[in-house]
Amino acid sequence: MALWATAGATGNGKRDGSLGYLVPALLLVVIFFIIPVLMLLLRSVLEPEPGLQNYATLLGSTTYLRIFLNTFIVAAVVTILSVSIGYPVAWLLAIMPEKWSRLVLAIIILSMWTNLLARTYAWMVLLQRTGVINKTLMGLGLIDAPLPLVNNLVGVTIGMTYIMLPFVILPLMGVIRAIDPGILRAAALCGAGRLQCFLRVLLPLSLPGVAAGALMVFVMSLGYFVTPALLGGTSNMMLAELVAQFVQSLVNWGMGGAAALVLLVVTLALYAVQLRYFNPNAAR
Amino acid sequence: MLLDFDKLGALRGVLIGITVAVCLFLILPIVFIAALSFGSSQWLIFPPPSWTFRWYHDLFADPRWFYAALTSLKIAAIVTVLSVVIGFLTALGLNRGRFPGRDALRALFLTPMILPVVVLAVALYALFLKLGLAGTTFAFVVAHLLIALPFSIISIGNALEGFDKSIEDAAILCGASPWEARLRVTVPAISHGIFAAAVFSFLASWDEVVLAIFMASPTLQTLPVKIWTTLRQDLTPVIAAASTLLIAFTILLMILAALVRKGPKT
Repeated sequence: MALWATAGATGNGKRDGSLGYLVPALLLVVIFFIIPVLMLLLRSVLEPEPGLQNYATLLGSTTYLRIFLNTFIVAAVVTILSVSIGYPVAWLLAIMPEKWSRLVLAIIILSMWTNLLARTYAWMVLLQRTGVINKTLMGLGLIDAPLPLVNNLVGVTIGMTYIMLPFVILPLMGVIRAIDPGILRAAALCGAGRLQCFLRVLLPLSLPGVAAGALMVFVMSLGYFVTPALLGGTSNMMLAELVAQFVQSLVNWGMGGAAALVLLVVTLALYAVQLRYFNPNAAR
Repeated sequence: MLLDFDKLGALRGVLIGITVAVCLFLILPIVFIAALSFGSSQWLIFPPPSWTFRWYHDLFADPRWFYAALTSLKIAAIVTVLSVVIGFLTALGLNRGRFPGRDALRALFLTPMILPVVVLAVALYALFLKLGLAGTTFAFVVAHLLIALPFSIISIGNALEGFDKSIEDAAILCGASPWEARLRVTVPAISHGIFAAAVFSFLASWDEVVLAIFMASPTLQTLPVKIWTTLRQDLTPVIAAASTLLIAFTILLMILAALVRKGPKT
C-alpha cells in the first residue's frame, strides 16, 4: 500500500494520476462513437420532419416486417445449428489427447482468422448452380436439377453457420474442460446410464457455456452484414443490410437511423440478458 | 465416464466422426479456394481442366489491387501503433486506478467491439460527411481504431493483471522515474500481451470490411473494399488468387504468433 502511494503520487494528481491515462481513449469513444451514434438516432425522429413517422413506416409495412422476420429466423437457425454441431466438437476437444486437439484447434483458428470475404467468396463459388456441391449431388444421382443454394436464405444460413461455429466451440470447450470428470464417474457408479449421465449431469453442467455461446452467436448474427449481403441476394435482405441500404442507396437518414435504433435496442437488450444471467466475472 | 476419452466406447466414434466432419467443413472451402486460384477455368469449374498462374498474373498486373493492398497496410500499421499505445495507457489506467465507475468505463471502451458494426459505420459516415472528412485516411484510421482498441485493452489488461506491480515499484525505489520504470521494466514483462494486442489490432483493421465500405472513396480503397466491389460484379478467379494470398498471410501470422507464445515468456 505504501509503495502504491509513492508511485501514485508521482503521477499528475495525487489521488488519480491514472485517470489521466484514460483521456485519449475517452476522447476517441465519446467523439467518434457516442456522439455520432446519438446523432444518427436523433435523425430518426427529426428527419424528414420531427415525429415518429419513420418508426411507424418501419413497423407498419409488411416489407420491413418480412426483413425483421428473416433476420430473426436466420439468426435463430444459425444459432441452433452452431450449438448442436459445435457441442460434440467442443466435448471431444475438451477430453481428447493434446496432440490431436492441437491439430483441431489449429484448423478452427485458421478458419476463424481467414479473411471474412475470402471465406464468403468460397461459399459463393461452392454453392452456385454449377458449383461443386450441386455437381457432386447430381453426380451421385441424389438430385436431378441443381438446388438453389445461393441468393437465398439457405446460402446465408450455411455461410453464417460456417463463420459462427468457432465462436461456439472455443468457449464451450473451456466450460466442458472445467467440469470435473469425477462427477460423471460418480454418476455412472451410482447406476446412471449414458443417456442419463449426459442429460442430467454433463448437459446441465455445461449449460452456462451453451447459453453464453448461443446468445453471442444470435446477437452477432442479427447484426451481420457481409455474408447476408453476398450470399442472400437482393430479395432476401436482413436488418443490417436494410440500415446500409437506407443510407447508401436511398440516402434516407431518417429511416436508416430508425432501422439502426431497432438493431441497437435488440442487441443491447440481449447483452443485458447475458450480463445479468451469464456474467463470466460472476461465475469466476 | 463421459469425460474420460478412453472409456467413451461407441460414443467416441460418433464424436470423432462429427469432429472430423466439422474440421473438413471448416478447412475445405479454404483449400478449395487455394486450388481454384491455380485452375484455368474462368467459371471456377472444379476440378480445373488445367493449371495456370494466369489469375496471379492478372492480379499483379492491375495496379489497383496493389494500391488497395498498400492502403490497407498503411491504415492497419497506423491503427496498430495507435491502438497499442492508447490501449497500454487505458489498460494501465483501468488496472491501477482506484476510482468510481471504473467498470462502467471499461465496459464503455469495449462496446464498439460488440455493437453491430453497421450501426457504427453508418453513424461515422454521417459524421465524416458533415465534417468533410469522408473518404480520408483519417476517417479510416479512426473507424478502425474504434474496433481495434478493445482488443488492445483486453490483451494488455490481461497481461497487466498477471504482472506484479511491486517489481515496477522496486525500480522506482531504485531511482527510476515512473515512466522509465514502466517502459523499461513493465513493458518488457508484458511484451506478450503487447504483441497479442498488435496482432489483433492489425488484423482488426486489415480484414475489416463494413466500416471500410462506408469510409472508402473511389480513390481510397482498402483491399477488402476492392474485393467487395469486385465480388458484387462477378466471381472472377482473380479474387481466388487474392484470397489465397490473404490466407497464406494469415497462416504466416499464426505461425509467428505461435512462435512468440512459445518464446521466453510462458
